[in-house]
Amino acid sequence: MSIANLGVFFALLGAVLAALFAGIGSAKGVGMAGQAAAGVCTDDPGKFSKVLILQLLPGTQGIYGLLIAFITMTQIGVMGGDANISVYKGLLYFAACLPMIVVGPVSALNQAKAAVASIAMVSKRPETFGKSMIFPAMVETYAILALLIDILAIFGVSSLAI
Amino acid sequence: MAVLPMKRVTIMALKKDRKGVLEFLQREGAVQIECKMPEDDVFRKQDTSTAKTLFQKNAQVAEDALAVLDIFAPGNKGLLASLNGRKELTVEEYNAFVLRRDEMMDAGRKILALDKELAEIRGQIPKMIDQQTALEPWLSYDLPMSLTETKKTAVITGTLPNEQTPETIYTQLGEYAPDAEKVSVDIISSSQEQTCIFLICSKKDQPAIQDALRRMSFAKPPISDMNPKEAYDELTRKKDELRKRESQILEELAGYGDKREDLEFASDYFTMRAEKYEIISTLDQSRRTFLLEGYVPAKKAEHLKEALTRQYDLAVEFNEPAEDEDVPVLLENNAFAAPVEGVVESFSLPGKGEMDPSFLVALFYYALFGLMLSDAGYGIIMAVACGILLLKFKKMENGLKKSLQMFFFCGIGTTIAGFLYGSFFGDAVNVIASNFFGRDDIKLAPLWFEPISEPMRMLVFCFLIAIIHMFVGLGAKAYMYLKNGQWKDAIYDVLFWYMFVGGLVLYLLSVPMITGMMQLSFIIPASAQTPILVVILIGVIGIVLTAGRESKSWFKRILKGLYGVYGVSSWLSDILSYSRLLALGLATGVIAQVFNKMGSMLGGGIVGIIVFVLVFLIGQTLNIGINALGAYVHTNRLTFVEFFGKFYEGGGRKFEPFAVNTKYYKFKEDVDL
Repeated sequence: MSIANLGVFFALLGAVLAALFAGIGSAKGVGMAGQAAAGVCTDDPGKFSKVLILQLLPGTQGIYGLLIAFITMTQIGVMGGDANISVYKGLLYFAACLPMIVVGPVSALNQAKAAVASIAMVSKRPETFGKSMIFPAMVETYAILALLIDILAIFGVSSLAI
Repeated sequence: MAVLPMKRVTIMALKKDRKGVLEFLQREGAVQIECKMPEDDVFRKQDTSTAKTLFQKNAQVAEDALAVLDIFAPGNKGLLASLNGRKELTVEEYNAFVLRRDEMMDAGRKILALDKELAEIRGQIPKMIDQQTALEPWLSYDLPMSLTETKKTAVITGTLPNEQTPETIYTQLGEYAPDAEKVSVDIISSSQEQTCIFLICSKKDQPAIQDALRRMSFAKPPISDMNPKEAYDELTRKKDELRKRESQILEELAGYGDKREDLEFASDYFTMRAEKYEIISTLDQSRRTFLLEGYVPAKKAEHLKEALTRQYDLAVEFNEPAEDEDVPVLLENNAFAAPVEGVVESFSLPGKGEMDPSFLVALFYYALFGLMLSDAGYGIIMAVACGILLLKFKKMENGLKKSLQMFFFCGIGTTIAGFLYGSFFGDAVNVIASNFFGRDDIKLAPLWFEPISEPMRMLVFCFLIAIIHMFVGLGAKAYMYLKNGQWKDAIYDVLFWYMFVGGLVLYLLSVPMITGMMQLSFIIPASAQTPILVVILIGVIGIVLTAGRESKSWFKRILKGLYGVYGVSSWLSDILSYSRLLALGLATGVIAQVFNKMGSMLGGGIVGIIVFVLVFLIGQTLNIGINALGAYVHTNRLTFVEFFGKFYEGGGRKFEPFAVNTKYYKFKEDVDL
């Protein structure tokens, strides 16, 4: 195994780290929100469906991480096909995954904090449910922007002839 | 698509008709009663809080009793039963129920009493078990435990820590109380934790012995007048009695299962009456008359007047609400837009002078939702499921019905988007064909294009939708200005922005670098750049001059105007925000593909097919759940933040008429409440 073969390694590293970190962030985030939601349900089980929706909001970053990992893996050929890419290209793939690796977990955790606060809001004033969804959704915007750049970068890199 | 116009209604009637008039209004549910007249010498408010509290208490008893029944005599409510809506009662049924209201309340109180007794019993039994456990080591002791002396001797019973033999006890006693003469120790029982002893000594030695025992960490036994065996058996007997009573109560409670309907009725009945008395306390009443004020939708006004004057001697008067009055808001829309009224309401109802945005919201809501979920399979499932429920349960409550209608339309949007993108449970068609039939060539061709293979094209499409969506929002603002006669504001706040933002977009489309990056097939000719720049310039100058027009000083005004131009940055971020259409759309497709791939890993053959079906069912169910939720949340976000941000503030108060607000029953016309 020579250095020249490490291209696919770097690319795969980027892919799995995106799934890994975003997954960790979402797992923690959904957990935090879940505790708050369970607390509300002990008092009033009727709010279950509302707080469940709020609990799930920080979960999307994990999905985005999965999405990035999957797209990268199909592009570099580990899901079948030719997995022979240059070190340079591998590093480019790694760089392309970076936004989700960093922004994913950070936004998931902060979104979870907003979700916890929104759950408290719904528990006191159920009629504000529509508004309460928006606060966590605001945080998610940045995960979506990171996802967008990731996707564009991955497809951009794959069309480079290097 | 409109906010229903309201009228102020004033009704002056005789006090003897008060019950009749109020009950009529409650049944009609068309008037929101709000009496604003101050009290004076003639008209006074009546204090009804005693009656109201009594009714509320009764309703609460019925509700609590129902909660108890839910635990001990659960009705066989199906999962879909709640879709059936409230039961409908005829006049005869209603009257029959009313006659039995005292009996109902008795049943309710009895249920609560039983529940309380049950809780007490369930608290006592563990206590008795504890007492018995404490007595167990003493069972072989056949004297009453309260025995402390005979004529000449002192009797001491109790426990010492750890397992001890008579020898160790005598040794210690000898050490701590060397002067004691005659001591006899019997061990009643011993275990690792404690040793129960029975000790006899002469009375004069008692203090010394007791002191010695204290130093050996002696503890007193559970005291009882009876001997331990008797006490133990007594406890067993009592416990059995309680157990018997417990099962008796459970049986009794289960027997109350058929009272559920009665209690539900009682809860509704007393809630209704409490509401009526609440209203009575707000009325202005003189000795023989009373005065009622409120709001009524204009289109119901005539019917109301006609019905009231036909039955009673009274005066009804309608007025246009004053300009500055906070009139409650009721929306009315066609079948296409009405389902999103709930979305509008959860943001805020239209404020003073604002239009009802429901139709515009609906126009984009279903499309945005569809683009985010974007899978024909999921869309069909959603639309069909909602459609069936709507057809099957015609009597369901209004709010639920609207939600289902909304998701029905969202499902249609999703189906269309799915076929445009060629996504049917992800790439299920292709996976099944190639895996089980060996036909790689079969797949569902997109009617338009596949976002996953052309993400840039999809992104440009998202931006296009963003601009249309927000320009429509801005147009709505102009519409509201024009409707209120503020045509200048419409130019300043809308037209200039159209010129500025629209011009910028067109200008970008004439730059080859941008169109190349976006992979557009067309470009606006460079010759058009100059006129476009002129338009942009007019827009910018207009905004600089007018954005701060409420300031008197020109210096301040220009500064504010410059800040207003800076608002273009928010347009940029708003447009970028629509990239979530791409992100969420891709997420649905890719996750579905992942599951399809996982399912097909074992290839063809029986085992392969079974695994595929299992993975497919679980995976796709999961995916539809997660992504429908995401699509719902983010459609709301785009509506609330990006779309409403352009024109809609809300702040209206909901129209809440005095009506029959029941939980379990509804009543046909003419019921005498």
